[in-house]
Amino acid sequence: MDFSWSTTQLAYKAKIISFAEANFSESFIKEDQEATFTRANWEKCAAFGLLGLSTTTAYGGATDKVDILTSTIAMEGLGYACKDNGLPFALNAQMWTVQYPILEFGSEAQKKKYLPKMCSGEWIGCHGLTEPNAGSDVFSMEMTATKVNGGYLLNGTKQHITMAPVADVFLIFAKTNPKLGAWGISVFIVDKNTKGLTIGKNRPKMGLRTVPFGNLTFKDCFIADTNRLGKEGAGWAITNSSLEYDRCTILAGQLGAMEKQLEDTIAFVKNRKQYNKPISQFQAISHRVADMRLRLETSRLLLQKVAWLKSEGKPATLESAMLKLQLSESFVASSLDAIRCNGGRGYITEHGVERDLRDAVGSIIYAGTSDIQKNIIAKLLGL
Amino acid sequence: MEAVLLNYITQLTHEQLDTPLTVDDDLLGSGILDSIGMMKLVSFIETELSMVIPPEDILIENFMTVKHIITYLKTT
Repeated sequence: MDFSWSTTQLAYKAKIISFAEANFSESFIKEDQEATFTRANWEKCAAFGLLGLSTTTAYGGATDKVDILTSTIAMEGLGYACKDNGLPFALNAQMWTVQYPILEFGSEAQKKKYLPKMCSGEWIGCHGLTEPNAGSDVFSMEMTATKVNGGYLLNGTKQHITMAPVADVFLIFAKTNPKLGAWGISVFIVDKNTKGLTIGKNRPKMGLRTVPFGNLTFKDCFIADTNRLGKEGAGWAITNSSLEYDRCTILAGQLGAMEKQLEDTIAFVKNRKQYNKPISQFQAISHRVADMRLRLETSRLLLQKVAWLKSEGKPATLESAMLKLQLSESFVASSLDAIRCNGGRGYITEHGVERDLRDAVGSIIYAGTSDIQKNIIAKLLGL
Repeated sequence: MEAVLLNYITQLTHEQLDTPLTVDDDLLGSGILDSIGMMKLVSFIETELSMVIPPEDILIENFMTVKHIITYLKTT
């Protein structure tokens, strides 16, 4: 068994860390407080080539074949050095839930129209799946796509859609055959200025505040046949095809943030003195740091296993559920431990410690809550 | 192949079916296979039957019944 990285992959990670330290090492406190998305930072990542990781060179991407291992280590590097946890999250949301499905299921015309502009940062894409009455039970969605001459009429509402308020392209899931449940869901590529589409405003939230979330409303919104992604009824397959890639890369960004959090915490507790000695010498502190290290390592091992399985073309349903559960819950627990180790300093916004906790909480909810991950694990164990 | 698939899908349901599974039973519409069951079935076919199922082929028209699955697999 060999989970080591190649020298090329490690060099790429180092290059990304240098890039992020040069561009995203500011505090982002103002953007976080004001819930501001900075398009210039998005464009810097695109110019660096990060948005090309999920797309092949024929359509503006980075390599001839999508490489999940390299993508994973790249996002670990970005998460480590970028002070804004929202930026890696948003980049990955587009790359793996918009670009990758178009790459895998799109027609040649769709790939040529959408992928180069998303890789270059000119267009932003978002993935519209969740609805007011369809969260964990997402395939009970109510949005419909009714067949009409030359296309479909979309009607319904999407909720909590990452990047929706600033997006140019929308990948929308809707029922084309309500009688078939999950197997009657199809996917449509919707352009920003399509008649009948209303884009909601950014809805500020607890964490990941630099990433706009919003609602989308469709009222008799006509989408041509040529903008259906894949065959009718392919919605379930499209969601599942990218799920594990999405897991690896979004969570890799968090893993990088956890590594930086641990380093910062160790540096602080070794320097901070109480009762005439560094607080690192109190077991109440050192044990917390040990727990943080253990969570980092167990999360990393699961991440590397899932990325490796996907790179081998193997299924990773159980492993990716365990990864999502372990890493997201670990980020929450370690973020709270980091605040405890920092004491009052950790609670004050200007020191940049408390933000991790607020950002981490989102990860135990989005893309399948921790409870849903446990359901999947239990089901796969035959329970 | 038919017996192998019927046996495996029956195992997936923890043998809770009222009557023995047949090649014409609706696996998806009747809820015999849920999302996770479907993932396990695809994985089983790829691993045990050494066949590759592209994601774009995972459609109800190819997986509604065991008969549909066999017809689809024979054409790939």
